[in-house]
Amino acid sequence: MSDTKKVRIFMTGVGGQGTLTATTLLAKTALSQGLPVTSGEIHGMAQRGGVVESTVLIGCASPKIGTGEADILVGFEPMETMRALPYLKPGGLVLSSTEFLPPLSVAMGQQECPTIDDIRKAVSACTDKVYFMASQSIGLKAGAVQAGNIAMLAALCAAGELPFGPEALAETIKANLPEKIQAVNLKALELGVKALEA
Amino acid sequence: MANPLLADTPGEIHLLLGNEAIVRGAVEAGIQVVTCYPGTPSSEVPDTFYRLSPEGKYYFEYSVNEKVAMEVASGATVSGAMTLCTMKHVGVNVAADPLLTLCYVGAPGGLILLSADDPGCHSSQNEQDNRIYARLAGMPVLEPASAQEAKNMARDGLLLSKKHGAPLLLRTTTRVNHLRGPVEFGPAPDPGKPEGFKRNPSKFVPIPAFARPMHLALMERMEALREEAEQSPYNTVSGQGDLGIVCSGISRAYVADALDNAGLAAKVSVLNLGFSNPLPERLCLDFLKSASKVLVVEELEPVVENELRVLAQKNGVEIEILGKDTLPRYGEFNVTMVENAIRELVGEEVLPACDCEMPELPTRPPNLCAGCPHRGTYYAARKVFGDDALYSSDIGCYTLGLLPPLKTADFLICMGSSISAGGGASKVNDKPVVAFIGDSTFFHSGLTGIANAVFNSHDVLVVVLDNRTTAMTGHQPHPGVDKTVIGENDHPLDIESAVRGLGVTEIRNVNPFNQKKTVAAFEELKEMKGVRVLIAKEPCPLYARRVYKKVSPQVAYVADTCNGRFECLDHLACPAMYKEGGKAAVNPILCNGCMLCLQVCGHIKAKKRGS
Ligand code: SF4
Ligand code: SF4
Repeated sequence: MSDTKKVRIFMTGVGGQGTLTATTLLAKTALSQGLPVTSGEIHGMAQRGGVVESTVLIGCASPKIGTGEADILVGFEPMETMRALPYLKPGGLVLSSTEFLPPLSVAMGQQECPTIDDIRKAVSACTDKVYFMASQSIGLKAGAVQAGNIAMLAALCAAGELPFGPEALAETIKANLPEKIQAVNLKALELGVKALEA
Repeated sequence: MANPLLADTPGEIHLLLGNEAIVRGAVEAGIQVVTCYPGTPSSEVPDTFYRLSPEGKYYFEYSVNEKVAMEVASGATVSGAMTLCTMKHVGVNVAADPLLTLCYVGAPGGLILLSADDPGCHSSQNEQDNRIYARLAGMPVLEPASAQEAKNMARDGLLLSKKHGAPLLLRTTTRVNHLRGPVEFGPAPDPGKPEGFKRNPSKFVPIPAFARPMHLALMERMEALREEAEQSPYNTVSGQGDLGIVCSGISRAYVADALDNAGLAAKVSVLNLGFSNPLPERLCLDFLKSASKVLVVEELEPVVENELRVLAQKNGVEIEILGKDTLPRYGEFNVTMVENAIRELVGEEVLPACDCEMPELPTRPPNLCAGCPHRGTYYAARKVFGDDALYSSDIGCYTLGLLPPLKTADFLICMGSSISAGGGASKVNDKPVVAFIGDSTFFHSGLTGIANAVFNSHDVLVVVLDNRTTAMTGHQPHPGVDKTVIGENDHPLDIESAVRGLGVTEIRNVNPFNQKKTVAAFEELKEMKGVRVLIAKEPCPLYARRVYKKVSPQVAYVADTCNGRFECLDHLACPAMYKEGGKAAVNPILCNGCMLCLQVCGHIKAKKRGS
């Protein structure tokens, strides 16, 4: 294990968003590259609209990421990106969606969400390796909101911190997703890589 | 083509969830009977067996509760069948009665009890450490730390259990159940037919005269298993150095990563205990003698730590043993926590704590889904009883009624406690008591509560929230359901008849989405005394979509006439609703079209979905 470069990826989103499906897809991609991978997920009560956290670790035995341990933080919802910042290693990579899914207290007007600018500032204070993207809109553009997750994964693979690129992800999509949704997801993948370059 | 989990394809590698790996391991051992009561984080084990049952060579059942699951499993294993029984950690409390005596009787066919413990209470009401049950009952324990081990230990544990006739505890924790990793398959032979029961009362009927020798036999069996633990490939010593670390379960993964991160592998020797009960005493003693100091890394209780202390004291080994004075006795560990504990002991600088300051963010507590029928029941109950009643709650999605604005959970103990604890409260309070219990929980342990309440003249209004499934753990069937993902239920039980059979005379049935009738029923029952039952029946919409293929053709929208009084948001708090520009609004993607909000405010209207 110790000869593989360790990469710890912390993913966070809102229950029902497809965070766990994305996590498994990324782990399968790592496995297809012959990498020692462990992933983890915590769900249960949280499925009912709560926060969902998951991990993908390459070259590690443990499925858990503690505070300050993540090389990469992927936030499928911007406020959750901010909440998960303490998990990031100083100088780690952050990839986050810009589109909010407000929690009930915010929807009810009892509490306020930070603005996307607040979030950009908070992230910049921790690292300069930051990418933001409107993942749901990109998903919609590709043909389905859920494909936004694939766009995020594609951008992550293209960002150069993983031991594989977006082509490996494309192969996993072809091997694992039902045929009828492959085209949409491959399109999302392409858009995701472009979004990173923009 | 057979599902990969069932196929005889040795050498293949699949990325599996820890829980799926356990399924595969059981299949490789030749599993013949699987019983369970679902509970997070164990649920994917029985759910996978259930899904595969049409093509599998085993008998599977969702039992009505853990005690029953354990008893059905007992009957199977004494008949020579290789058996797996799964539950979450608190489920073992329910199953403890048959479990402790089954360990006397033994498991001729082999039997694993899977206990999925939950350090950190990710989805549970407590953190109990079930390794202690194993010591109490006299069971060998295997504790996996990876998906591969989960598979291997399920297989090897079943074979070991059969060899010794000893029920074995496979003890996982949430992280292990819900991790995913590569798993290399072994052969999956055809299990064939169970051997069948061989009559032998002195072995299988623990009347006192037989139970006494059974207890002795159990202790001898444990000594034989201690020998197995001494030789087990799951117990290994690695590394070298003065400082010794003893670890078990998922802590082994944290220790491995911590030593790797810190580059301390050469300064520390590690005793990995995957087969942790009975304690391999020779192996441990040699390890204790080889080290200058020992740190025990185990989550929750100091189980191994205390056993090592006893071992050292008995053998006159003078060594400092550290454990819970260094690492916490609650919650989960992580790599940095373990790394720092080790760094401190070897005199290296500890890693700095994260110092980034975070502003307070709005929390995101779980909430009843949009269109959840429980919201209708709770809204009506609150309308009729307000803060004047004591609300006795139970285990299920509906526990979320706790949150404002519904606030319909005042106390909660365990599965089924709503009725009995509610009855107890009614004896010592002047307020009315309303007890909420789900349909699955009702069959799990509500029936006895009703019988008790009727017999002892408790004054309690029991509301059965019948959403036609076990929603919280992933929509498993129970005796009351009519339809399941893989077919019809041949013997659906009727809750009303059950309640009537138990002596309740005042029973009302409502659909909670009909507010007028629901409120009227609550009002009527409020005026009465004794045990009254309201059955609020409407399927969970997530389940209805999957199983009945039922989706409401309508969604709600807020008309321009909305006056911004927010009656809907402030009292219903459906997650599909939000405030926008001083008015209420409904997100049509999230709205499930239950039409509850239309009955709360006249400014909310229905329209065709997608229009
Ligand atoms: S109809 Fe109203 S209460 Fe029901 S899901 Fe839609 S917004 Fe929520
Ligand atoms: S899963 Fe079903 S029962 Fe549970 S909160 Fe959601 S709608 Fe209600």
